[in-house]
Amino acid sequence: MKEVFGMWKYTKMVVLVALSAAIFAALLIPFKALVLIPGFTEVRPANALPIVLGLLFGPAGAWGAAIGNLIGDFFGTLGIGSIFGFIGNFFSAYIPYKLWNKLALVNESDEDPLLLDNTKKVVNFVIVALLSSMACALIIAWGLEMLQLVPFAALATIISLNNSVPSIVLGIPLMLILYPRIKKWDLLWTDIVEEEYLEKKSSAARVGALLMVVGIVGGITTGLIAALGLSGQAAFAGGFTQGQMGSVGVTLMAGSGVVLTVIGSLIEQ
Amino acid sequence: MDMFLYLDKNTYMHRLDPRTKMFVMLATFTAALIVNTIPQLIMVALLVIAYGLSGKVLSNLKRIKIILIMIGLFSVFIWSFIGQGTTKLIGPLTQEGLLRGVVTGIKLDVMIIAGMIFLSSTKIEEISLGLQKLKIPYRVAFAFSTAIRLVPMIIGTTYIISQAQQSRGLDLDSGNLVTRLKKYLPLLIPVFISIIRGTNVFAMALESKGFGYSSQRSNYLEITFKPIDFIIVIVIILLILSTLYLRIVVT
Repeated sequence: MKEVFGMWKYTKMVVLVALSAAIFAALLIPFKALVLIPGFTEVRPANALPIVLGLLFGPAGAWGAAIGNLIGDFFGTLGIGSIFGFIGNFFSAYIPYKLWNKLALVNESDEDPLLLDNTKKVVNFVIVALLSSMACALIIAWGLEMLQLVPFAALATIISLNNSVPSIVLGIPLMLILYPRIKKWDLLWTDIVEEEYLEKKSSAARVGALLMVVGIVGGITTGLIAALGLSGQAAFAGGFTQGQMGSVGVTLMAGSGVVLTVIGSLIEQ
Repeated sequence: MDMFLYLDKNTYMHRLDPRTKMFVMLATFTAALIVNTIPQLIMVALLVIAYGLSGKVLSNLKRIKIILIMIGLFSVFIWSFIGQGTTKLIGPLTQEGLLRGVVTGIKLDVMIIAGMIFLSSTKIEEISLGLQKLKIPYRVAFAFSTAIRLVPMIIGTTYIISQAQQSRGLDLDSGNLVTRLKKYLPLLIPVFISIIRGTNVFAMALESKGFGYSSQRSNYLEITFKPIDFIIVIVIILLILSTLYLRIVVT
């Protein structure tokens, strides 16, 4: 997490935050009309961007995704959900660059770890895209369930799908085309910041990564079990016609996942 | 077409400190979440509308009226089914669920109207300066305000690229979901590259003008708390305490 705050002293990283946020917002706004859940989410091809921004620009991409989502909300849907949207989209770009080298699919000696030139790296990308989508879904759905505004099961499943499909379908070709150019322009975040902010190979880093994965997968899974089982909710659109909201079980289960994810990100260096 | 909600008027609301307006917006969110009965929510809604009327910014309601209607109807719809009431109306619909749907719909709409009033009466520069006065670092506020300023330019660029690609045979309307998603690649890549390419030059331009040279900055725009800001903050605090009283003691 140190790099999340330390990056602000680099002018290039500040510019990358601004540009990432602007691109994300500009691609979100035209699709605000394709509503999935009024006031909360819509069809978003722009969801391909957080994972790409996170992998290429690291913490600048994470802040850019968060601020860009907030700016998108400025065009008609600024409300309490915007707070969880800010945090959720931050993590949707944070998780990819934190977990990229932790899943044992990328060779440690690889000079271009982000170049998707073999099957293992593509599989790594898919896994990381799914985890980042689920992290975003977990945070937003948990927050709105806790406030008894939108049922967890419906929102978590819809956001997970709405984020992961564009991330995978568009994200892979985007990375293939953009990575060589970004690297050539010396704009990879690992080329901009100092050594102290880069990934450390330590047991704390591994424990933190494990906690994040457990938090995300566990939070979504147990939250859904509690919502579908105990509260009688249903997934996707069916979740809007059955079950009850604001149950303690769902809030605790999903909330534990959120807490574990945050703790993991603080431990992970 | 002006994309932003800001309305350039000369009212007391436009002259308020942006921090006061942020506080009013967040207090409205809080009040809407605290109260749980229709009469109390209608009271909160009327206060919000009166606040908006006093600042002459409610004309923006017509820009978001579709969102407000959809949110209201959606809330009534979902809560009617999942409201777990005992008074059955038709099939799984219950009276308690229906009422709960109305309550949630009003809550969400009140919050969005409060957000709209804030954005309609506060310039982006004022939001940025207000964030700095709230001890958000200047660089964060700078990134935020720069991003907002770039959005219309990027949307314009996206539109031009879209027209260019469609004139070369790109069909964005046909195909299944995955096929249509893939068709956005010829738009995303040129937009992304054309914007990110300028990062190095942008950073050099900032540093050549002393960006980040000193932690002490002066501003062209100055904001200070005036007596009316204090009055409004006190009134809002009293209103929040009243809503808490209503929720805990009365309800």
